[in-house]
Amino acid sequence: MTNSTLKAPAPAAVQPPARKPSNGSGKKLLTSTWLIVVVVAIWWFASANSTNFFIPSLQEILESLVRDLGNGVILGGALYSLTNLFVGLAIAAVLGIGGGLLFGELHWLRRIFDPIIHFFRSVPQAALVPMIIGVFGMGQGPKMGTIAFACMWPILLNTIDGVLGVEPTIRKFSKVYRIPRMLHFRRVVLPAALPQIMAGVRVALPIGITVMVVSEMFASIEGLGFFILNSSATFKVPETWAGALLVGVIGYLISILFVFVEKRVLRWYHASGAQ
Amino acid sequence: MKESTISPGLLTVQRVVAIGVLFGIWQLIIASGTMPSMLPGVTQIFAGIGETIVSPLFWEALGKTLLAALTGWVLASVIGVILGLTIGSVRFLDRSSNILIDFGRSFPVLALMPVVIMLLGSNSIMEIVVVGLSCLWPVLVQTIYGARRQESAVADTVAVFRIPVMLRFRRVLLPSAMPFIATGVRISASIAILVAVGVEVISQAPGIGRQITLMQQAQRWDMAFAYLFFAGLVGWGIAALLQLGENRLLKWKRQNDD
Repeated sequence: MTNSTLKAPAPAAVQPPARKPSNGSGKKLLTSTWLIVVVVAIWWFASANSTNFFIPSLQEILESLVRDLGNGVILGGALYSLTNLFVGLAIAAVLGIGGGLLFGELHWLRRIFDPIIHFFRSVPQAALVPMIIGVFGMGQGPKMGTIAFACMWPILLNTIDGVLGVEPTIRKFSKVYRIPRMLHFRRVVLPAALPQIMAGVRVALPIGITVMVVSEMFASIEGLGFFILNSSATFKVPETWAGALLVGVIGYLISILFVFVEKRVLRWYHASGAQ
Repeated sequence: MKESTISPGLLTVQRVVAIGVLFGIWQLIIASGTMPSMLPGVTQIFAGIGETIVSPLFWEALGKTLLAALTGWVLASVIGVILGLTIGSVRFLDRSSNILIDFGRSFPVLALMPVVIMLLGSNSIMEIVVVGLSCLWPVLVQTIYGARRQESAVADTVAVFRIPVMLRFRRVLLPSAMPFIATGVRISASIAILVAVGVEVISQAPGIGRQITLMQQAQRWDMAFAYLFFAGLVGWGIAALLQLGENRLLKWKRQNDD
Protein backbone atom coordinates (compact mmCIF):
# COMPACT_ATOMS: atom_id res chain seq x y z
CA MET A 1 0.00 0.00 0.00
CA THR A 2 2.70 2.43 1.00
CA ASN A 3 4.88 1.46 -1.94
CA SER A 4 2.71 3.06 -4.51
CA THR A 5 1.80 6.12 -2.56
CA LEU A 6 5.37 7.00 -1.84
CA LYS A 7 6.25 6.93 -5.48
CA ALA A 8 3.24 8.90 -6.52
CA PRO A 9 4.50 12.50 -6.36
CA ALA A 10 7.63 11.83 -8.40
CA PRO A 11 6.69 12.94 -11.93
CA ALA A 12 5.00 16.19 -11.02
CA ALA A 13 7.75 17.20 -8.63
CA VAL A 14 10.34 17.69 -11.32
CA GLN A 15 10.74 21.37 -12.03
CA PRO A 16 11.83 22.53 -15.46
CA PRO A 17 15.46 23.52 -15.04
CA ALA A 18 15.33 26.85 -16.82
CA ARG A 19 12.85 29.11 -18.52
CA LYS A 20 12.61 27.67 -22.00
CA PRO A 21 11.30 29.70 -24.91
CA SER A 22 7.53 29.93 -24.62
CA ASN A 23 7.14 27.76 -27.70
CA GLY A 24 8.36 24.71 -25.74
CA SER A 25 6.08 25.16 -22.77
CA GLY A 26 3.15 25.90 -25.07
CA LYS A 27 3.77 22.63 -26.84
CA LYS A 28 4.01 20.88 -23.50
CA LEU A 29 0.73 22.36 -22.42
CA LEU A 30 -0.83 21.21 -25.66
CA THR A 31 0.47 17.66 -25.24
CA SER A 32 -0.93 17.40 -21.76
CA THR A 33 -4.34 18.87 -22.52
CA TRP A 34 -5.39 17.84 -26.02
CA LEU A 35 -6.76 14.48 -24.92
CA ILE A 36 -9.10 16.05 -22.39
CA VAL A 37 -10.38 18.49 -24.97
CA VAL A 38 -10.97 15.62 -27.38
CA VAL A 39 -12.75 13.51 -24.76
CA VAL A 40 -15.02 16.38 -23.75
CA ALA A 41 -15.70 17.24 -27.40
CA ILE A 42 -16.60 13.64 -28.23
CA TRP A 43 -18.89 13.49 -25.21
CA TRP A 44 -20.46 16.81 -26.16
CA PHE A 45 -21.21 15.91 -29.78
CA ALA A 46 -22.01 12.24 -29.29
CA SER A 47 -24.57 13.05 -26.60
CA ALA A 48 -25.94 16.17 -28.29
CA ASN A 49 -28.80 14.37 -30.00
CA SER A 50 -29.17 11.62 -27.46
CA THR A 51 -32.68 10.20 -27.36
CA ASN A 52 -31.93 7.96 -24.41
CA PHE A 53 -33.66 9.42 -21.40
CA PHE A 54 -30.87 8.26 -19.09
CA ILE A 55 -28.06 9.75 -21.16
CA PRO A 56 -28.69 13.49 -21.33
CA SER A 57 -26.53 15.68 -23.51
CA LEU A 58 -23.45 17.16 -21.91
CA GLN A 59 -24.91 20.59 -22.57
CA GLU A 60 -27.95 19.77 -20.44
CA ILE A 61 -25.74 18.38 -17.67
CA LEU A 62 -23.60 21.47 -17.56
CA GLU A 63 -26.62 23.77 -17.70
CA SER A 64 -28.22 22.08 -14.72
CA LEU A 65 -24.88 22.17 -12.91
CA VAL A 66 -24.50 25.89 -13.48
CA ARG A 67 -28.13 26.51 -12.50
CA ASP A 68 -27.90 24.57 -9.24
CA LEU A 69 -24.53 26.08 -8.45
CA GLY A 70 -26.10 29.49 -8.94
CA ASN A 71 -29.13 28.94 -6.73
CA GLY A 72 -27.09 27.51 -3.91
CA VAL A 73 -28.56 24.00 -3.85
CA ILE A 74 -25.25 22.36 -4.59
CA LEU A 75 -23.16 24.82 -2.65
CA GLY A 76 -25.05 24.12 0.57
CA GLY A 77 -24.69 20.40 0.02
CA ALA A 78 -21.01 20.68 -0.79
CA LEU A 79 -20.39 22.72 2.33
CA TYR A 80 -22.13 20.09 4.44
CA SER A 81 -20.22 17.23 2.81
CA LEU A 82 -16.83 18.89 2.99
CA THR A 83 -17.31 19.83 6.64
CA ASN A 84 -17.96 16.17 7.41
CA LEU A 85 -14.96 15.15 5.37
CA PHE A 86 -12.47 17.52 6.91
CA VAL A 87 -13.61 17.11 10.50
CA GLY A 88 -13.49 13.34 10.02
CA LEU A 89 -10.05 13.53 8.46
CA ALA A 90 -8.77 15.77 11.25
CA ILE A 91 -9.96 13.32 13.89
CA ALA A 92 -8.43 10.46 11.92
CA ALA A 93 -5.13 12.32 11.63
CA VAL A 94 -4.94 13.07 15.35
CA LEU A 95 -5.79 9.50 16.35
CA GLY A 96 -3.75 7.90 13.60
CA ILE A 97 -0.60 9.95 14.16
CA GLY A 98 -0.89 9.77 17.94
CA GLY A 99 -1.47 6.05 17.92
CA GLY A 100 1.18 5.54 15.27
CA LEU A 101 3.83 7.33 17.34
CA LEU A 102 2.87 5.24 20.34
CA PHE A 103 2.85 1.91 18.52
CA GLY A 104 5.98 2.80 16.58
CA GLU A 105 7.95 3.60 19.72
CA LEU A 106 6.70 0.77 21.91
CA HIS A 107 7.69 -2.43 20.20
CA TRP A 108 6.00 -4.77 22.63
CA LEU A 109 2.70 -2.93 22.28
CA ARG A 110 2.86 -3.01 18.51
CA ARG A 111 3.59 -6.71 18.41
CA ILE A 112 0.62 -7.47 20.60
CA PHE A 113 -1.83 -5.29 18.71
CA ASP A 114 -0.54 -5.96 15.22
CA PRO A 115 -3.22 -8.51 14.22
CA ILE A 116 -5.99 -6.35 15.67
CA ILE A 117 -4.84 -3.29 13.72
CA HIS A 118 -4.67 -5.28 10.51
CA PHE A 119 -8.11 -6.68 11.09
CA PHE A 120 -9.68 -3.25 11.54
CA ARG A 121 -7.86 -1.97 8.52
CA SER A 122 -9.41 -4.74 6.44
CA VAL A 123 -13.02 -4.07 7.42
CA PRO A 124 -14.68 -2.67 4.27
CA GLN A 125 -15.21 0.94 5.25
CA ALA A 126 -18.51 1.23 3.45
CA ALA A 127 -19.94 -1.61 5.54
CA LEU A 128 -19.52 0.57 8.62
CA VAL A 129 -21.95 3.11 7.25
CA PRO A 130 -25.22 1.25 7.96
CA MET A 131 -23.88 0.17 11.35
CA ILE A 132 -22.69 3.48 12.69
CA ILE A 133 -25.51 5.53 11.21
CA GLY A 134 -28.03 2.90 12.27
CA VAL A 135 -26.86 3.03 15.88
CA PHE A 136 -26.04 6.69 16.29
CA GLY A 137 -28.57 8.26 13.99
CA MET A 138 -28.58 10.34 10.86
CA GLY A 139 -26.88 13.45 12.22
CA GLN A 140 -23.61 14.95 11.19
CA GLY A 141 -21.61 13.48 14.06
CA PRO A 142 -21.99 9.81 13.10
CA LYS A 143 -20.99 10.63 9.53
CA MET A 144 -17.85 12.35 10.73
CA GLY A 145 -17.19 9.41 13.00
CA THR A 146 -17.51 6.92 10.15
CA ILE A 147 -15.14 8.95 8.00
CA ALA A 148 -12.69 9.27 10.89
CA PHE A 149 -12.77 5.53 11.59
CA ALA A 150 -12.26 4.63 7.94
CA CYS A 151 -9.43 7.12 7.40
CA MET A 152 -7.61 6.37 10.62
CA TRP A 153 -6.06 3.04 9.68
CA PRO A 154 -3.93 4.01 6.69
CA ILE A 155 -2.62 7.01 8.63
CA LEU A 156 -1.91 4.84 11.66
CA LEU A 157 -0.09 2.17 9.67
CA ASN A 158 1.97 4.67 7.73
CA THR A 159 2.91 6.55 10.88
CA ILE A 160 4.12 3.31 12.44
CA ASP A 161 6.18 2.64 9.32
CA GLY A 162 7.58 6.16 9.47
CA VAL A 163 8.52 5.91 13.13
CA LEU A 164 10.24 2.58 12.52
CA GLY A 165 12.19 4.18 9.69
CA VAL A 166 13.85 6.80 11.90
CA GLU A 167 17.63 6.46 11.64
CA PRO A 168 18.98 4.51 14.63
CA THR A 169 21.86 6.96 14.90
CA ILE A 170 19.49 9.88 15.29
CA ARG A 171 17.62 7.94 17.91
CA LYS A 172 20.85 7.29 19.82
CA PHE A 173 21.78 10.96 19.64
CA SER A 174 18.46 11.92 21.10
CA LYS A 175 19.03 9.43 23.88
CA VAL A 176 22.63 10.44 24.57
CA TYR A 177 21.67 14.09 24.89
CA ARG A 178 18.78 13.11 27.11
CA ILE A 179 16.27 14.97 25.02
CA PRO A 180 13.05 15.09 27.06
CA ARG A 181 10.43 12.60 25.89
CA MET A 182 7.93 15.13 24.58
CA LEU A 183 10.61 17.10 22.78
CA HIS A 184 11.97 13.88 21.33
CA PHE A 185 8.51 13.04 19.97
CA ARG A 186 7.84 16.49 18.63
CA ARG A 187 11.20 17.46 17.21
CA VAL A 188 12.84 14.14 16.31
CA VAL A 189 10.37 11.36 15.62
CA LEU A 190 7.50 13.37 14.16
CA PRO A 191 9.50 15.24 11.49
CA ALA A 192 11.36 12.07 10.53
CA ALA A 193 8.09 10.20 10.09
CA LEU A 194 6.34 13.09 8.35
CA PRO A 195 6.90 11.97 4.74
CA GLN A 196 5.31 8.62 5.55
CA ILE A 197 2.50 10.27 7.48
CA MET A 198 1.70 12.50 4.52
CA ALA A 199 1.64 9.44 2.28
CA GLY A 200 -0.84 7.88 4.71
CA VAL A 201 -3.09 10.93 4.61
CA ARG A 202 -2.92 10.76 0.85
CA VAL A 203 -4.22 7.20 0.93
CA ALA A 204 -6.89 8.22 3.42
CA LEU A 205 -8.22 11.10 1.30
CA PRO A 206 -10.03 9.10 -1.40
CA ILE A 207 -11.28 6.68 1.25
CA GLY A 208 -12.71 9.62 3.14
CA ILE A 209 -14.42 11.03 0.06
CA THR A 210 -15.90 7.63 -0.76
CA VAL A 211 -17.24 7.11 2.76
CA MET A 212 -18.57 10.67 2.73
CA VAL A 213 -20.59 10.00 -0.40
CA VAL A 214 -21.78 6.57 0.77
CA SER A 215 -22.86 7.91 4.15
CA GLU A 216 -24.96 10.58 2.47
CA MET A 217 -26.45 8.20 -0.03
CA PHE A 218 -27.32 5.75 2.69
CA ALA A 219 -29.14 8.09 5.03
CA SER A 220 -29.18 11.83 4.78
CA ILE A 221 -31.24 14.78 3.80
CA GLU A 222 -28.26 16.94 2.97
CA GLY A 223 -24.95 16.81 1.19
CA LEU A 224 -23.62 15.95 -2.24
CA GLY A 225 -24.37 12.25 -1.95
CA PHE A 226 -27.95 13.07 -1.08
CA PHE A 227 -28.16 15.48 -3.99
CA ILE A 228 -27.06 12.76 -6.40
CA LEU A 229 -29.31 10.08 -4.99
CA ASN A 230 -32.30 12.37 -4.66
CA SER A 231 -31.95 13.57 -8.24
CA SER A 232 -31.83 10.00 -9.50
CA ALA A 233 -34.80 8.99 -7.33
CA THR A 234 -36.87 11.83 -8.76
CA PHE A 235 -35.65 11.11 -12.30
CA LYS A 236 -33.81 14.38 -12.64
CA VAL A 237 -31.27 12.71 -14.85
CA PRO A 238 -29.09 15.68 -15.84
CA GLU A 239 -28.82 16.66 -12.17
CA THR A 240 -27.69 13.15 -11.26
CA TRP A 241 -24.93 13.28 -13.84
CA ALA A 242 -24.03 16.80 -12.79
CA GLY A 243 -23.75 15.79 -9.13
CA ALA A 244 -21.58 12.78 -9.88
CA LEU A 245 -19.36 14.88 -12.13
CA LEU A 246 -19.05 17.54 -9.47
CA VAL A 247 -18.01 15.05 -6.79
CA GLY A 248 -15.35 13.82 -9.21
CA VAL A 249 -14.08 17.33 -9.80
CA ILE A 250 -14.03 18.01 -6.07
CA GLY A 251 -12.11 14.79 -5.48
CA TYR A 252 -9.60 15.83 -8.11
CA LEU A 253 -9.23 19.35 -6.74
CA ILE A 254 -8.71 18.08 -3.21
CA SER A 255 -6.00 15.71 -4.37
CA ILE A 256 -4.25 18.50 -6.28
CA LEU A 257 -4.51 20.75 -3.28
CA PHE A 258 -3.07 18.05 -1.09
CA VAL A 259 -0.08 17.49 -3.37
CA PHE A 260 0.54 21.23 -3.17
CA VAL A 261 0.36 21.25 0.63
CA GLU A 262 2.48 18.14 0.85
CA LYS A 263 5.18 19.74 -1.26
CA ARG A 264 5.26 22.77 0.99
CA VAL A 265 5.26 20.84 4.22
CA LEU A 266 7.94 18.45 3.01
CA ARG A 267 10.04 21.05 1.26
CA TRP A 268 12.98 20.42 3.58
CA TYR A 269 12.67 16.72 2.86
CA HIS A 270 12.71 17.07 -0.90
CA ALA A 271 15.48 19.66 -0.65
CA SER A 272 17.63 17.29 1.37
CA GLY A 273 17.36 14.76 -1.43
CA ALA A 274 16.71 12.12 1.18
CA GLN A 275 14.28 10.22 -0.99
CA MET B 1 16.24 -2.73 16.64
CA LYS B 2 15.31 -6.39 16.64
CA GLU B 3 14.46 -7.73 20.04
CA SER B 4 12.94 -11.12 19.54
CA THR B 5 13.33 -12.21 23.10
CA ILE B 6 9.65 -12.97 23.55
CA SER B 7 8.72 -16.53 22.72
CA PRO B 8 5.94 -17.01 20.15
CA GLY B 9 3.82 -18.78 22.74
CA LEU B 10 3.95 -15.86 25.13
CA LEU B 11 3.18 -13.48 22.30
CA THR B 12 0.06 -15.45 21.41
CA VAL B 13 -1.05 -15.33 25.02
CA GLN B 14 -0.47 -11.59 25.13
CA ARG B 15 -2.45 -11.09 21.93
CA VAL B 16 -5.36 -13.14 23.21
CA VAL B 17 -5.29 -11.13 26.43
CA ALA B 18 -5.30 -7.89 24.42
CA ILE B 19 -8.34 -9.02 22.46
CA GLY B 20 -9.97 -10.03 25.73
CA VAL B 21 -9.26 -6.60 27.18
CA LEU B 22 -10.84 -4.92 24.14
CA PHE B 23 -13.94 -7.09 24.51
CA GLY B 24 -13.99 -6.22 28.22
CA ILE B 25 -13.91 -2.51 27.43
CA TRP B 26 -16.71 -3.03 24.92
CA GLN B 27 -18.79 -4.85 27.51
CA LEU B 28 -18.13 -2.11 30.06
CA ILE B 29 -19.26 0.56 27.61
CA ILE B 30 -22.45 -1.39 26.93
CA ALA B 31 -23.04 -1.97 30.62
CA SER B 32 -22.46 1.67 31.48
CA GLY B 33 -25.49 2.56 29.39
CA THR B 34 -23.90 5.59 27.78
CA MET B 35 -24.28 4.10 24.32
CA PRO B 36 -27.53 3.55 22.44
CA SER B 37 -29.17 0.41 23.73
CA MET B 38 -29.24 -1.45 20.43
CA LEU B 39 -25.52 -2.16 20.52
CA PRO B 40 -25.09 -5.87 21.20
CA GLY B 41 -22.94 -7.16 24.04
CA VAL B 42 -20.01 -9.51 23.64
CA THR B 43 -22.01 -12.69 24.15
CA GLN B 44 -24.62 -11.55 21.65
CA ILE B 45 -21.94 -10.80 19.08
CA PHE B 46 -20.45 -14.26 19.55
CA ALA B 47 -23.87 -15.83 19.28
CA GLY B 48 -24.46 -13.80 16.12
CA ILE B 49 -21.16 -15.00 14.65
CA GLY B 50 -22.11 -18.58 15.48
CA GLU B 51 -25.53 -18.17 13.95
CA THR B 52 -24.13 -16.54 10.83
CA ILE B 53 -21.55 -19.17 10.11
CA VAL B 54 -24.17 -21.93 9.83
CA SER B 55 -26.65 -19.83 7.90
CA PRO B 56 -26.84 -20.62 4.16
CA LEU B 57 -27.96 -17.03 3.60
CA PHE B 58 -24.57 -15.81 4.74
CA TRP B 59 -22.62 -18.12 2.45
CA GLU B 60 -24.80 -17.17 -0.47
CA ALA B 61 -24.28 -13.46 0.23
CA LEU B 62 -20.56 -13.99 0.66
CA GLY B 63 -20.40 -15.88 -2.62
CA LYS B 64 -22.21 -13.15 -4.48
CA THR B 65 -20.00 -10.41 -3.06
CA LEU B 66 -16.83 -12.34 -3.81
CA LEU B 67 -17.94 -13.23 -7.32
CA ALA B 68 -18.76 -9.62 -8.21
CA ALA B 69 -15.54 -8.37 -6.63
CA LEU B 70 -13.46 -11.03 -8.35
CA THR B 71 -14.98 -10.47 -11.79
CA GLY B 72 -14.57 -6.71 -11.62
CA TRP B 73 -11.05 -7.05 -10.30
CA VAL B 74 -9.92 -9.49 -13.00
CA LEU B 75 -11.44 -7.40 -15.78
CA ALA B 76 -9.88 -4.23 -14.41
CA SER B 77 -6.49 -5.91 -14.00
CA VAL B 78 -6.39 -7.19 -17.57
CA ILE B 79 -7.55 -3.90 -19.07
CA GLY B 80 -5.34 -1.88 -16.74
CA VAL B 81 -2.19 -3.84 -17.57
CA ILE B 82 -2.72 -3.69 -21.33
CA LEU B 83 -3.57 0.01 -21.28
CA GLY B 84 -0.81 0.79 -18.81
CA LEU B 85 1.92 -0.95 -20.80
CA THR B 86 0.81 0.86 -23.93
CA ILE B 87 0.62 4.26 -22.29
CA GLY B 88 3.77 3.82 -20.23
CA SER B 89 5.96 2.80 -23.13
CA VAL B 90 4.89 5.58 -25.49
CA ARG B 91 6.06 8.87 -24.08
CA PHE B 92 3.61 10.98 -26.05
CA LEU B 93 0.61 9.00 -24.79
CA ASP B 94 2.02 9.10 -21.28
CA ARG B 95 2.18 12.89 -21.29
CA SER B 96 -1.18 13.32 -22.95
CA SER B 97 -3.09 11.04 -20.63
CA ASN B 98 -1.56 12.37 -17.42
CA ILE B 99 -4.32 14.75 -16.35
CA LEU B 100 -7.07 12.41 -17.46
CA ILE B 101 -5.65 9.56 -15.38
CA ASP B 102 -5.09 11.81 -12.38
CA PHE B 103 -8.69 12.88 -12.66
CA GLY B 104 -9.94 9.33 -13.04
CA ARG B 105 -8.08 7.96 -10.09
CA SER B 106 -9.19 10.66 -7.71
CA PHE B 107 -12.79 10.17 -8.82
CA PRO B 108 -14.89 8.52 -6.12
CA VAL B 109 -16.52 5.95 -8.37
CA LEU B 110 -19.23 5.16 -5.83
CA ALA B 111 -20.58 8.66 -6.47
CA LEU B 112 -21.16 7.60 -10.03
CA MET B 113 -23.26 4.66 -8.92
CA PRO B 114 -26.71 6.22 -9.30
CA VAL B 115 -25.78 7.02 -12.89
CA VAL B 116 -24.61 3.47 -13.52
CA ILE B 117 -27.78 2.15 -11.88
CA MET B 118 -29.87 4.28 -14.23
CA LEU B 119 -28.01 2.86 -17.21
CA LEU B 120 -27.71 -0.78 -16.18
CA GLY B 121 -30.22 -1.34 -13.41
CA SER B 122 -29.59 -2.48 -9.85
CA ASN B 123 -28.01 -5.86 -10.55
CA SER B 124 -24.73 -7.71 -10.42
CA ILE B 125 -23.57 -6.40 -13.80
CA MET B 126 -23.86 -2.88 -12.42
CA GLU B 127 -21.88 -3.99 -9.37
CA ILE B 128 -19.15 -5.51 -11.53
CA VAL B 129 -18.91 -2.33 -13.64
CA VAL B 130 -18.56 -0.11 -10.57
CA VAL B 131 -16.01 -2.47 -9.00
CA GLY B 132 -14.09 -2.64 -12.26
CA LEU B 133 -14.05 1.13 -12.67
CA SER B 134 -12.65 1.51 -9.15
CA CYS B 135 -10.03 -1.22 -9.54
CA LEU B 136 -8.79 0.01 -12.88
CA TRP B 137 -6.88 3.04 -11.63
CA PRO B 138 -4.37 1.52 -9.20
CA VAL B 139 -3.47 -1.15 -11.77
CA LEU B 140 -3.23 1.39 -14.57
CA VAL B 141 -1.14 3.88 -12.63
CA GLN B 142 1.24 1.25 -11.27
CA THR B 143 1.65 -0.38 -14.67
CA ILE B 144 2.48 2.97 -16.23
CA TYR B 145 5.15 3.54 -13.58
CA GLY B 146 6.52 0.11 -14.25
CA ALA B 147 6.59 0.50 -18.03
CA ARG B 148 8.25 3.91 -17.73
CA ARG B 149 11.21 2.51 -15.90
CA GLN B 150 12.49 0.74 -18.97
CA GLU B 151 16.28 0.83 -18.94
CA SER B 152 17.72 2.47 -22.01
CA ALA B 153 20.13 -0.40 -22.60
CA VAL B 154 17.23 -2.82 -22.75
CA ALA B 155 15.27 -0.50 -25.04
CA ASP B 156 18.28 -0.21 -27.35
CA THR B 157 18.75 -3.95 -27.44
CA VAL B 158 15.12 -4.45 -28.33
CA ALA B 159 15.42 -1.90 -31.12
CA VAL B 160 18.66 -3.32 -32.49
CA PHE B 161 17.34 -6.86 -32.64
CA ARG B 162 14.05 -5.64 -34.08
CA ILE B 163 12.06 -7.60 -31.57
CA PRO B 164 8.44 -7.78 -32.79
CA VAL B 165 6.00 -5.59 -30.89
CA MET B 166 4.00 -8.41 -29.34
CA LEU B 167 7.08 -10.29 -28.24
CA ARG B 168 8.50 -7.11 -26.75
CA PHE B 169 5.26 -6.57 -24.88
CA ARG B 170 5.17 -10.05 -23.49
CA ARG B 171 8.83 -10.80 -22.84
CA VAL B 172 10.41 -7.42 -22.09
CA LEU B 173 7.88 -4.86 -20.90
CA LEU B 174 5.64 -7.15 -18.90
CA PRO B 175 8.36 -8.82 -16.78
CA SER B 176 10.19 -5.57 -16.08
CA ALA B 177 6.98 -3.86 -15.03
CA MET B 178 5.83 -6.90 -13.06
CA PRO B 179 6.78 -5.76 -9.54
CA PHE B 180 4.80 -2.57 -10.06
CA ILE B 181 1.87 -4.38 -11.62
CA ALA B 182 1.79 -6.80 -8.72
CA THR B 183 1.51 -3.93 -6.25
CA GLY B 184 -1.29 -2.33 -8.26
CA VAL B 185 -3.17 -5.59 -8.58
CA ARG B 186 -2.82 -6.21 -4.85
CA ILE B 187 -4.07 -2.75 -3.93
CA SER B 188 -7.03 -3.06 -6.26
CA ALA B 189 -8.03 -6.41 -4.77
CA SER B 190 -8.68 -4.73 -1.42
CA ILE B 191 -10.51 -1.98 -3.24
CA ALA B 192 -12.63 -4.55 -5.06
CA ILE B 193 -14.01 -5.96 -1.81
CA LEU B 194 -14.54 -2.51 -0.35
CA VAL B 195 -16.39 -1.22 -3.39
CA ALA B 196 -18.46 -4.38 -3.81
CA VAL B 197 -19.68 -4.09 -0.24
CA GLY B 198 -20.21 -0.35 -0.69
CA VAL B 199 -22.32 -0.89 -3.79
CA GLU B 200 -24.43 -3.42 -1.93
CA VAL B 201 -24.94 -1.07 0.98
CA ILE B 202 -26.38 1.67 -1.21
CA SER B 203 -28.14 -0.29 -3.93
CA GLN B 204 -30.31 -3.38 -3.94
CA ALA B 205 -27.54 -5.63 -5.26
CA PRO B 206 -27.38 -8.83 -3.20
CA GLY B 207 -24.37 -9.65 -1.02
CA ILE B 208 -22.74 -9.00 2.34
CA GLY B 209 -23.29 -5.24 2.24
CA ARG B 210 -26.97 -5.71 1.48
CA GLN B 211 -27.25 -8.19 4.34
CA ILE B 212 -25.72 -5.71 6.77
CA THR B 213 -28.26 -3.11 5.71
CA LEU B 214 -31.14 -5.59 5.95
CA MET B 215 -30.06 -6.84 9.38
CA GLN B 216 -29.73 -3.29 10.60
CA GLN B 217 -33.22 -2.45 9.33
CA ALA B 218 -34.58 -5.59 10.98
CA GLN B 219 -32.94 -4.49 14.26
CA ARG B 220 -30.81 -7.63 14.34
CA TRP B 221 -27.70 -5.81 15.51
CA ASP B 222 -25.90 -8.93 16.61
CA MET B 223 -26.21 -10.36 13.11
CA ALA B 224 -25.16 -7.07 11.53
CA PHE B 225 -22.03 -7.09 13.68
CA ALA B 226 -21.36 -10.68 12.74
CA TYR B 227 -21.58 -9.83 9.05
CA LEU B 228 -19.29 -6.88 9.59
CA PHE B 229 -16.84 -9.16 11.37
CA PHE B 230 -16.81 -11.60 8.47
CA ALA B 231 -16.46 -8.78 5.97
CA GLY B 232 -13.32 -7.71 7.81
CA LEU B 233 -12.09 -11.28 8.02
CA VAL B 234 -12.50 -11.79 4.28
CA GLY B 235 -10.74 -8.52 3.50
CA TRP B 236 -7.91 -9.49 5.79
CA GLY B 237 -7.61 -12.96 4.33
CA ILE B 238 -7.48 -11.64 0.78
CA ALA B 239 -4.86 -9.02 1.64
CA ALA B 240 -2.69 -11.60 3.39
CA LEU B 241 -3.08 -14.11 0.57
CA LEU B 242 -2.11 -11.59 -2.09
CA GLN B 243 0.90 -10.40 -0.15
CA LEU B 244 2.02 -14.00 0.06
CA GLY B 245 1.42 -14.52 -3.65
CA GLU B 246 3.30 -11.35 -4.53
CA ASN B 247 6.30 -12.39 -2.47
CA ARG B 248 6.33 -15.82 -4.15
CA LEU B 249 5.84 -14.51 -7.65
CA LEU B 250 8.51 -11.87 -7.36
CA LYS B 251 11.17 -13.96 -5.69
CA TRP B 252 13.50 -13.37 -8.61
CA LYS B 253 13.13 -9.66 -8.13
CA ARG B 254 13.97 -9.79 -4.44
CA GLN B 255 17.08 -11.88 -5.05
CA ASN B 256 18.11 -9.42 -7.68
CA ASP B 257 17.91 -6.57 -5.25
CA ASP B 258 20.02 -8.16 -2.56
